[in-house]
Amino acid sequence: MTMTRAELQDAARQAFGGADLVPDAERAWGLIAEMGWLMMTVPEDRGGLGLGREAAGVIHTEIGRALVPGPGIAQLMVIEALSAADDLRERDDLLARAMGGEVMTASLSPGATLDCVPDADRASHVLVLSADRVALVPLDGASLTERETWDKTRRLFDVEPIAIGLTLATGDAAAALGERIEAQLLFALTGDSLGGADAILERTLDYLKIRHQFGRPLALFQALKHRVADMKTWLAAAEALFWNRALDPGATLTEIGALKAHATNVYRAIAEDAIQLHGGIGLTMEYHCHLFLKRATLNAVLGGDADHWEERVGRRALEAG
Amino acid sequence: MTDALETLRHDVRAWLEAEAPKDWRTTCQTHEGFLATQRGWFAKLAAGGYAVPHWPEQWPGGGRGLAEQKLIYEEFARADTPRLLLSFMSTYHAASTLFEWGSSEQQARYIPRILEGEIWCQGFSEPNAGSDLANVRTRAERRGDVYVVNGQKTWSTMGQFADQCLLLVRTSSEGAKQAGLTYLLLDLKTRGVTARPIHQIHGDEEFAELFLDDVEVPVANRLGDEGQGWAVAQSTLSSERGLTLLELSARMRGALWRIADRIRAQDRGNDAGILRDFGRLATKIDATCALADQFLANRIAGEERVGDASLVKLSYSRTLREFTALGLRIGALDAQYHEPIIFGGGMETGNWMADFMNSYAWTIAGGSDEVQRNIISERLLGMPREPKGWTLEQRA
Repeated sequence: MTMTRAELQDAARQAFGGADLVPDAERAWGLIAEMGWLMMTVPEDRGGLGLGREAAGVIHTEIGRALVPGPGIAQLMVIEALSAADDLRERDDLLARAMGGEVMTASLSPGATLDCVPDADRASHVLVLSADRVALVPLDGASLTERETWDKTRRLFDVEPIAIGLTLATGDAAAALGERIEAQLLFALTGDSLGGADAILERTLDYLKIRHQFGRPLALFQALKHRVADMKTWLAAAEALFWNRALDPGATLTEIGALKAHATNVYRAIAEDAIQLHGGIGLTMEYHCHLFLKRATLNAVLGGDADHWEERVGRRALEAG
Repeated sequence: MTDALETLRHDVRAWLEAEAPKDWRTTCQTHEGFLATQRGWFAKLAAGGYAVPHWPEQWPGGGRGLAEQKLIYEEFARADTPRLLLSFMSTYHAASTLFEWGSSEQQARYIPRILEGEIWCQGFSEPNAGSDLANVRTRAERRGDVYVVNGQKTWSTMGQFADQCLLLVRTSSEGAKQAGLTYLLLDLKTRGVTARPIHQIHGDEEFAELFLDDVEVPVANRLGDEGQGWAVAQSTLSSERGLTLLELSARMRGALWRIADRIRAQDRGNDAGILRDFGRLATKIDATCALADQFLANRIAGEERVGDASLVKLSYSRTLREFTALGLRIGALDAQYHEPIIFGGGMETGNWMADFMNSYAWTIAGGSDEVQRNIISERLLGMPREPKGWTLEQRA
């Protein structure tokens, strides 16, 4: 990529790093579009920046780090699908609108029904994946039911569209595209989780350093130091695997799924223990700890949970060994 | 990857196909077989130019960059060669310390003999100086042009087979504990040295205790000045960082088939519980491999931070415990019946009870997990250091 990972990270951190957690949704969305994050992975001949999965990794990590609300993951799934729709007459127009920030959404839990669709009330279209057809369906007249989630950083809807929509792929091409989009979802959830895990670990370290009990900072208690050292170790290894697979064009869906399961395990474990290490204040709604734990548990189920992916990767390892 | 590296990979792979011992797991069922295998394999590597790629280029076989070394170790892991256990201390710890602290006479005397197969061990740890190495009590008294050494060393890797020893001794009890240490090179054939193997819980004997009874070491065999031993020892301890864990992680990855075999043998290929645990482990190993890889890449780029090596070691040691624990679980009752071990067989031999017990080696040796956690929390995470000053008087 022309921009290094570090440069991209710096730019992204400036956008969301200084602000409070969970920035205002509309402002954040404007910023994301303005910074060109929605055109990052689109090939240059289609009006994008032509950056690879590594760039997408940076975006999702930073979105996760600041608990940014909004349909970023879903929008990038739509953009990926549109980029691949070579036979669609309206492609360039739709792609330009999506890259410019017109919300087009998708289910974060692809299956028989269209649920877990973020920000559907602001969206013009929804992506529909089925075994033999990938379609972009207008949401005019669709029935939308908002489902209140424990994670207040996301707004998810059940969607029943009435339109047939535009076909992006059919048959074998649809299956292949569906798999590619699923891999992208899993990769995005991984980035979101690792960014969030890093942020809550950092905040926990800060807290241990300033909070005094028994006349000394909590950070001086070895029992606590060792716990955060373990967290850091698991996180560092998961991050290494994330960037490794980001750069591996041959990474399979199962490998990305296994990575997502691993990253959400790590996120959840760190967010869980962060509450314990914060003590009483970690149990208050005013404090930020619970926001990370709730997003971590949601990420853990979206796109298939750890039971699903670990079994799949176990089966694959059994066949390989 | 550059063309030069591609060529090297091709060369190493072809060389290994012709030269790497294939039957070593069988021949290493006795101590004698182990020693012969280790010596024979090292001699082949030395002749082939792959024994000491990390040495400076003025020495034969040396002068390879870190990227080349990494590649060579990856190929060793891939070819499932015996690990160089017997000569490891010699080619890394002894050589690196000599390169950094040895006089030109000392280097000319010892370095070529390492390539000829001379074996070194390390005499650092003592019964009361394990994680707390500054607590070394083995005394060395200067008498004319010799030091007279008395004391006991332990956990000396391959000490019972070694010719020479890197010896950390106390020459003064004044001032800070570290300031009274001196570093000597001890010929283990010297009168007064007794080496006794340590019987490990899994049945191997990879370490020895060394008893030193009025042992005379020429002053000419000192590395650094008197009182500089702590600094010299730090060079020894940091002589190998990254390559071993990269190799070991790759070997663990390559040994997953042993667990897969057991799952099939037990007809549990559709048991979701075991498949999940197996899958989770496989991903953790992948993550450890990626971390070891990233660590070396950072080192090559000159971006290594203090404490990074501890992340790799802790990730490896904990994952290895999980690997062997899953092996032991799926090994079931079969794993409880005693089978003879393969000496120097590595961390994953498929003798699950032995492997499970042997895996503690990595959570305890070379800086225990607890020491690594201290380093990670203090050096990488900015947590305050343990206050000093707890003394024996406070215990009374």
